[in-house]
Amino acid sequence: MDINKIIDQITTVTSSEDLEKIRIELLGRQGTINQEFSKIKTAPNPKQFGADLNNFKKQIKELILEKSKTVSSETRNLKLEIKNSDFSLSKIGHLHPITQTERALNELFKSLGFSIYDGPVIETDEYNFERLNVPKNHPARDMQDSIFIREPQYLLRTQASAIEARLLAAEKPPFKVAFPGTTYRNEKVNKSNHFVFHQYQAVVVDHDIAMRDLIGTMDLMFKTLYGPDVVVRYRCKYYPEVEPGVGPDMQCFNCHGTGCGVCKGAGWIEMGGSGLIHPNVLQKAGIDPKIWRGFAFGMGLDRWTMAKYKITDIRTLLGGNLAYKPNSL
Amino acid sequence: MKLVLSELKKLLPGLPVEPQQLRDDLTMIGHFTNFYEKIDDEIIFDLDIKVNRGDCLGYYGLARDLSVLYNLPLVLPNLPQLNFPEYKLPILVTAKNEVKRIQAVKISNLKNIPSPDWLKKFLEFHQINSINTLVDLTNYIMFLYGLPCHAFDTAKSGDNLLWELNSHYSEFVTLDQTTLKLKPGILMVNNPTTPLSLSFLGGQACAIGLKTTETIIEMAVYDRTRVRLDSRFLKTTTEAGTRLEKDLDSDTIPLAFSHLIKLIIDLCHGQVSSQLFDYYPEAIALPKIKFDPQKPSVYSGIDIPVDFSLNVLQQLGCIIQNELVTPPSIRKDITLEEDLTEEVIRFWGYQKIPTNQPISNTILPDITPKIIYLTEYVKDVLTNLGYDEIRSWPLTQKPVDPNTVITTQNSINSEYPYLRQSLVQSLKVQLDQYDRYKLPAPQFFEIGKIFSQKDGQYLEKYSLGLYHSNSGQLSADIQALSEKLNAPLSPLSDGNFSEIILDDLKVDISNSIAPAQNYHSYELTSQIITLDANVNYDSKQNPVDLINHYSSLISPDLLWQIVITDVYHDQKTNKYRYTFRVSYYNCDDKTAKSTHLSVFNLL
Repeated sequence: MDINKIIDQITTVTSSEDLEKIRIELLGRQGTINQEFSKIKTAPNPKQFGADLNNFKKQIKELILEKSKTVSSETRNLKLEIKNSDFSLSKIGHLHPITQTERALNELFKSLGFSIYDGPVIETDEYNFERLNVPKNHPARDMQDSIFIREPQYLLRTQASAIEARLLAAEKPPFKVAFPGTTYRNEKVNKSNHFVFHQYQAVVVDHDIAMRDLIGTMDLMFKTLYGPDVVVRYRCKYYPEVEPGVGPDMQCFNCHGTGCGVCKGAGWIEMGGSGLIHPNVLQKAGIDPKIWRGFAFGMGLDRWTMAKYKITDIRTLLGGNLAYKPNSL
Repeated sequence: MKLVLSELKKLLPGLPVEPQQLRDDLTMIGHFTNFYEKIDDEIIFDLDIKVNRGDCLGYYGLARDLSVLYNLPLVLPNLPQLNFPEYKLPILVTAKNEVKRIQAVKISNLKNIPSPDWLKKFLEFHQINSINTLVDLTNYIMFLYGLPCHAFDTAKSGDNLLWELNSHYSEFVTLDQTTLKLKPGILMVNNPTTPLSLSFLGGQACAIGLKTTETIIEMAVYDRTRVRLDSRFLKTTTEAGTRLEKDLDSDTIPLAFSHLIKLIIDLCHGQVSSQLFDYYPEAIALPKIKFDPQKPSVYSGIDIPVDFSLNVLQQLGCIIQNELVTPPSIRKDITLEEDLTEEVIRFWGYQKIPTNQPISNTILPDITPKIIYLTEYVKDVLTNLGYDEIRSWPLTQKPVDPNTVITTQNSINSEYPYLRQSLVQSLKVQLDQYDRYKLPAPQFFEIGKIFSQKDGQYLEKYSLGLYHSNSGQLSADIQALSEKLNAPLSPLSDGNFSEIILDDLKVDISNSIAPAQNYHSYELTSQIITLDANVNYDSKQNPVDLINHYSSLISPDLLWQIVITDVYHDQKTNKYRYTFRVSYYNCDDKTAKSTHLSVFNLL
């Protein structure tokens, strides 16, 4: 190993690339200095040989570092130019599609004077069912297979209406509140089913609330989501927590009402549930139904979001293979 | 539930509408009708019946609704008065809290035969196999009135039927010879020595066959909770069980049961050989509901004439005296003034309520919790810093701290039993996925709940988890977030991952931040293939022009990302070399490589 030649090479190099080549030749895993280290065992004075070699390695490293500060400033400037050019190499981040949907709805409801709300994921049977007019052994519980934490009292909330029950118990009317809510049901995960659902719900309690307010507000929401030409019908539907109950159906986007596989032949797609809040529900929250009336509606966000973003596998929404294409110029 | 139009027309002979209209009308009044189909000159509807309308799990209940909607008289079968002989059936009921009403009778000298074609066809439309006339008639009546009934071959069962809660049988063999393991407390019909039937499912021990000449037929209504619990315990669902789990009407039994007897005598030529056994210890107490006929207008927000309201209720069978309304016994779902109001509005028509009058935008006090504002703000800051948002499962395979982890008791996704205690667990799973798809240089975050328990209390907090492939940049970005929030952050760091509990932060989110823009996301169905290319130029280039140029040469369907990763000026040759890194997707390796070689003239 000719030390002087090495030092000469480093000091005379003119480009960063050549300097990098020298660095690898000397300090790389298969480099000259590592090869010298393998001779320690056969050296006459291994201890001294190792110490000298370490000193030399340190010297070379410092020399290369020093040289790198002066070599080929033009190349460094070019790289800087790329970094600082209008074409930004830095990414713009993206919101999750469900968040984008939730935000669109939040913005709509905020413009109508609504607050946004939240509630616990681990719920009690009382708030998830009892206060929503679904007593134990009610057949409506069959529609929502629960994941229990401590059966029968604690479970993962099966419906965003549990947040409504919390809201009614905690706040004094009048109020207008909307909220997204992740809900959980005991279902196997596959391409079209998941145990996690994303729902959105709105609740209003005030004097003189009528179905006209409910249907008008829902229609505005559907037009915001689907555009002004969307056709939605409102029909009688049963949910234990409301009376009268209202079911919005959207005309099938695929067949426009004639019936197809997407809508299972109905020509319409069920979009959720709603109604005037059942007097029992208000009463259980300490709100006098003779003074106050309210409406509530809820809908699932997963299917709509999947359709908008052309996602075919529901598992994509929660981890896995959802990715965001980097921003283009 | 299936509905055969010709059968419905026996109850509503003047039914004036086309099938399409009937489908839509049924749906609008609350009986969602998926579709109808024409089979062998019959029109068959497919309906979803609401769980509170057990009465509509039969043609009779549906016809009652439609008779109001179309203002048609309901025509019931002409049933002759029956003469019952002296013999009293030795039936005993010990399950007194579970049995609401039973009617039973013995019929002898039967000639049971294969069912006539009309009956076979009717059952086929309801996806029930034909067995023989006697059995098929019990099913026919069940579909007609929504009330299950059962026939026992008394040559096998004897007459000493006993309605009891199981106390000593461990097994029960069903009609299809499945053996079910029983437990005490299940409602059963037995004789003194043998289990004969469950409340919702017949048994092999007394099965009706073509050789049956004597039978006891019965129709009953039970405590629906008992039936539901039994059905769930035995993991067995039947048409009878589906009905008996609902609130059924004991007072409809005489009509339905008489119809069954008449049909058996007509088709099997037997004679009634016992008195009518009628166990009905406690007649239904019907509610008297105070009703203001203005309420339908008030609740709907549109004018509905009082006369219309009262007329609808009367047509439904309600008795109106002064301001009190007594609904018919078949309508178990009507208990409140709001229920009566819904009845009026649904027949007036939901479609008459305007859709263009949303609630006013009056501003009420903002009760939005601060944490919501914080999480939304943090999302905007992080997307501005280039992070993508992910969402993940809240269940994990392994606990972080076994002492505080919360475990689910019954998740069918049993390989994920724990509620996550850290978002880093979720981020690592996501990173594995991105690695699998070879996503170039991912940087992402999640805001979600993490869970733990302490002293028997369940705790959940909002947490922020971050990943960056460059740990130095991750630290710099957390510092930037800290400055935006005007608060020191103390993240828990694990290499390229960091986590910050948001609930605990005292922050100021008044700093302005550009809201995140909406972008499309993509479902990765194939790996991203990343390839490099060096291109030499005689002079310095504008990198934007270069990117634009090469982007335009690659199909947008294939191009995931293109960046310049390096540039080098060779002073000896005075050439400028630009290094491009291109990521392709939606294609295989071969397509990516051939595209790459062609675009960069590397062939």
